[in-house]
Amino acid sequence: MIEQPTQGTYEILQDARQTLEEEGKLLAKVYNEPSIFELEAKKIFSKTWIFLAHESEIPWPGDYVLRRIINDSFIVTRDEDGEIHVLFNMCKHRGMQLCRSDAGNASHFRCPYHGYTFSNTGKLQGVPFEKEAYGPEGLDKDEYSMTAAPKMEIYKGLIFASLNPDVPPLEEYIGDMGWYLDFYLEKSPAGLEVIGAPQRWIMPADWKLAAENFIGDGYHTQSTHMSTIKAGIMRVKSPAYLKEGVQITASKHGCLFMGFPPGNYFNYPQSIVDSMLENLNEEQVEVLKENSIMPLNATVFPNLSFLHSSMAIEAEGQSIPYFTLRIWQPIGAGKMEIWSWCLVEQDAPEEFKKNSNRAFLTTFGASGTLEQDDAENWSGQTRVGAGEMAAQHYLNYSAGSAHVEPIPEDEWPGPGTAYPKNYVDFAQRHFWQTYFHFLLDGYNGS
Amino acid sequence: MLETSVETYWEAYSFLMHEAEVLDERHEREWLEMVTDDVEYLMPVRVNRERGEGDGFSEEAFYFEETRGSLELRVRRIETEYAWAEDPPSRTRHFVTNVRVAPGEKEDEVAVRSNLLLYRTRGSAPGHDIISAERKDILRKEEGQWKLRKRVILLDHHLLETHNLSVFL
Repeated sequence: MIEQPTQGTYEILQDARQTLEEEGKLLAKVYNEPSIFELEAKKIFSKTWIFLAHESEIPWPGDYVLRRIINDSFIVTRDEDGEIHVLFNMCKHRGMQLCRSDAGNASHFRCPYHGYTFSNTGKLQGVPFEKEAYGPEGLDKDEYSMTAAPKMEIYKGLIFASLNPDVPPLEEYIGDMGWYLDFYLEKSPAGLEVIGAPQRWIMPADWKLAAENFIGDGYHTQSTHMSTIKAGIMRVKSPAYLKEGVQITASKHGCLFMGFPPGNYFNYPQSIVDSMLENLNEEQVEVLKENSIMPLNATVFPNLSFLHSSMAIEAEGQSIPYFTLRIWQPIGAGKMEIWSWCLVEQDAPEEFKKNSNRAFLTTFGASGTLEQDDAENWSGQTRVGAGEMAAQHYLNYSAGSAHVEPIPEDEWPGPGTAYPKNYVDFAQRHFWQTYFHFLLDGYNGS
Repeated sequence: MLETSVETYWEAYSFLMHEAEVLDERHEREWLEMVTDDVEYLMPVRVNRERGEGDGFSEEAFYFEETRGSLELRVRRIETEYAWAEDPPSRTRHFVTNVRVAPGEKEDEVAVRSNLLLYRTRGSAPGHDIISAERKDILRKEEGQWKLRKRVILLDHHLLETHNLSVFL
C-alpha cells in the first residue's frame, strides 16, 4: 500500500501521469492499490456513464434485471408502457433492499420489511396501515417513491446510467466512437438480442487491465493465445495475424480492427452480410469492402468492452463469428466481477445463433480457451502489482511511438485518430490518459 | 432403494470414481476417450430468481455447451505448450458423492445423478476455489465399456468464484 507521509495518492498519480505523457511509461502501482481504488469509485464510477444492461434483456412490460454501479444496486425495469427505468434498489422507509432477485417480471416491488409497495416506475403505491401509522392524511407518496438513477440514457440498445446529474449527454460521451460501435451494434436493422443471461465470475484481477487489453492490445495474441492457434480454434495461418490492422482512438475510447479474407466478413451468414452492407453507412462499408477489416475489440471508458471475432467450435471446423459485450466491474482494488453477454442479430438464422453462442463459449467467458489465459495474465499482473516494488516500477507503453504515424485524415474514412498498425500502444496510452484525466479532475496540484 | 441391479449401480459408481481420478491426475486425453462421440456436456448459467420462478438455470446461456468436437479442441489446447492457464497446472480434487443410478431411456443407458465438490488451488498464491454442483449424467454402454453420453452440471452458484474454468467438472 502507498503510505508515505510526504506524498499522498494524488501526488503519486500526478507523477505517474507526467511520466506517461513524457516517457510513455506507466507506474505499475496503479494496477493494484486500495487508496487508488477509493478514488476510482468516486472520480470515475460516480462521475461518468456506466453500462448496466442491454434492452433485449428486458423485452416485455414488467421485465427487470438487477445491476450495480460499484456498491449501488439498481433495478432496471420496463414499465407497463414499455418505458425503461433505472431505480435505486432501496426502500425510502428504512433502506431495505427492495428487489432481491436478479431478474424477473413484476408490476410491483414490495419491501419485505414493512411492506411498502412500489410500481415498476418507482412510484410508491401502497403503505400498510397508512392511516394508523401516518395519520388521516396519509403519507406523501411522491416524496417516498423510489429514487431514479440521476441519469439514464440508451445508446442503440445499450442502457447506461450515471450517478452524476451533470454528466454530459451519453451520445456526446460516446462521440466519435459511435462510428466504430456501429460495426457491432448496427449490422442488422432488426437489432441485437442477448442470448439468455450473462455469465458472471470473480477474478482476482484489476478491472483496468482488462479494459486496457480490450481497447487495443493486438500484440498479446501471438503469445497469450498461441495455444488456440496451435489447437485449431483460432483459424489463422500465422501467430502474427494481428500485426497488420488499424488501431483507433476516438473520444475517450478506442478499438482495434482485424483483417479478413476479401469478401469473407468474419464468415457471417449471407443474410447478415447483406444486411450489414445495407445498414451501415457508405464510409463504413468502404472499410469493410476496400480494407477488408472489421473492429475486433473495443473499450468504451471506463469498463465496457466489445469483442467481435470468429473461431472454430469443432476440430478442423470452420470459423463462426460472434459478438460479446462485457463489463469489468470493480469490487475492490485488484478484484473484479466480470459480466459477459453474447449477443446476436435478432433476424439471424436460428442455427447460426446457437453456433455463434458456442463459438463465444469456446473462446471467451469463464471457460473460454482465450479468456482463460487472459485471466492468468490479468491476475498475475495484479498479484505482482500489489507490492512495494511496483511503486517504483515503470512499465513500457511505447510501442509505435518511434516509427508509426497516424493515417492521414483524407485516407481514413472514420473519425478519431487511426494508426496503420496493431502492435502499437496508442489506444492503451489513450486509456490511461483518460483515466488520469478523470482521477485528477479538480486536483490543482497544491 | 436401488432402481437398478446392484451390478449396474456399482458399474456406474465405479465409472464416476475412475473419471474423477483421471481428471485429478490430469489425463485429459484419456478422459476424452471416456465420452461418447455424440456427447453433450453442458453447464448452464444460473440466475438468482424468486422461488416461484424455478431454479434459475438458463436454457440458452451456458458456461459449457460442448460436443465431442469442441471438447477435442479444449484437450488439444491443453496439450500445447502454451496453455498458460493450466501450466503450472491447477491442483484439483473431484469429490463425487450422493450417487443415484436409475434406468435410462434406452436399454444400454443409465441416468446417474451425483453431487460434485471441486476443490482447486493454483500457483503459489494462498487460497482455493470451490465449485459445488449436482451432475445429471447419462452413461451408455458401448462395446462393454460405460461412457459419458450426456452431462448437465447444475451449479450451486449464480456467480462463479474462480478466475476461469480451465478444468473439466
